Amino acid sequence: MMVPVRCFTCGKVIGGIYPTYLKRVQMGEEPKAVLNDLGLKRYCCRRMIVAHADLVDEVIPLG
Amino acid sequence: MDLKIIDMSDRHGKFVISGIRPDMANAIRRCLMTEVPKMAIENVEFHLGSIRDEEGNEYESVSPLFNEIISHRLGLVPVPTDPTLYTYKDECVCDGEGCPSCTIIYSLNKRGPGDVYSGDLEPLGGPELRVKDELIPIVRLGPGQAILAYVYAELGTAKRHVKWQVTSGTNYRYYPTVNIDLDKCEGDRACIEACPRDVLKDLDGKVAVDDLEACILCRSCEEACDVGAITVSGDDTKFLFEFETDGSLTAHQALDKALEILEQEYEEFRESVSAMETA
Repeated sequence: MMVPVRCFTCGKVIGGIYPTYLKRVQMGEEPKAVLNDLGLKRYCCRRMIVAHADLVDEVIPLG
Repeated sequence: MDLKIIDMSDRHGKFVISGIRPDMANAIRRCLMTEVPKMAIENVEFHLGSIRDEEGNEYESVSPLFNEIISHRLGLVPVPTDPTLYTYKDECVCDGEGCPSCTIIYSLNKRGPGDVYSGDLEPLGGPELRVKDELIPIVRLGPGQAILAYVYAELGTAKRHVKWQVTSGTNYRYYPTVNIDLDKCEGDRACIEACPRDVLKDLDGKVAVDDLEACILCRSCEEACDVGAITVSGDDTKFLFEFETDGSLTAHQALDKALEILEQEYEEFRESVSAMETA
């Protein structure tokens, strides 16, 4: 489904980071370096981005 | 009481506060988390039925997510708040009907295919009301799908819902003290390697403290030292405070407001206690 807007654990807004993260990792940057650069220092916020599976596309036809 | 500010930027605050007790530090933390009011989206009115664009194409007002979920996602988007401007809706002069001093209205109008972002929220009002994080994905629309909604934000505190929580990662810890007994120290560097935060360094063959404020009082260095030359302790009158805001208020505004509310609450408590004595 869509990326969560906030981190489940601490409440930091992480939704806006995901599109940037995806773009930069696809350009060949190291995920660890991108996460650090985007200011995700707690592991709760980092897992929100790293462990996310974007599955909306599969639900769109069912809307 | 002494306050030393290390960083007080837009979304991050870090400071050292000394001459207080642990309970006072905790009061500040809890106040920052639950008492600071901010604006957040509370009501969403969806247009139902078909939507036509300027060229006469027809769209269905459906999306892959349920309307409840879209409203919930919109609620979590941080809305810029001027802490001096707004009042709670039920205490407002408009009797909860909604007016510019208690509500911000946005319109959301987007046609698929494509992503709806928080930046698509158009404020009915000045451009200063625009959402600052413009890249938060709300929902992805397929071809022939569209969304048209009016979105209302109101003031609240995190006691009711986390979407009104201004700060995240609010924490404090005892200010660390690292004592190194150089007479006992054998200089085997075990403590330097054991430290997970790189607090210690090697200064001409002797152990020295490099970055004291990074210390998290984990005592790994004490355990690594066989001769007991290094001791770590926390000072319970001095605290290292750190918090982040979601961007609706700046760190400075949030701290100001939290301290103001804390003072007000103590004043109310004092008044009710003195009322009890006279009764």
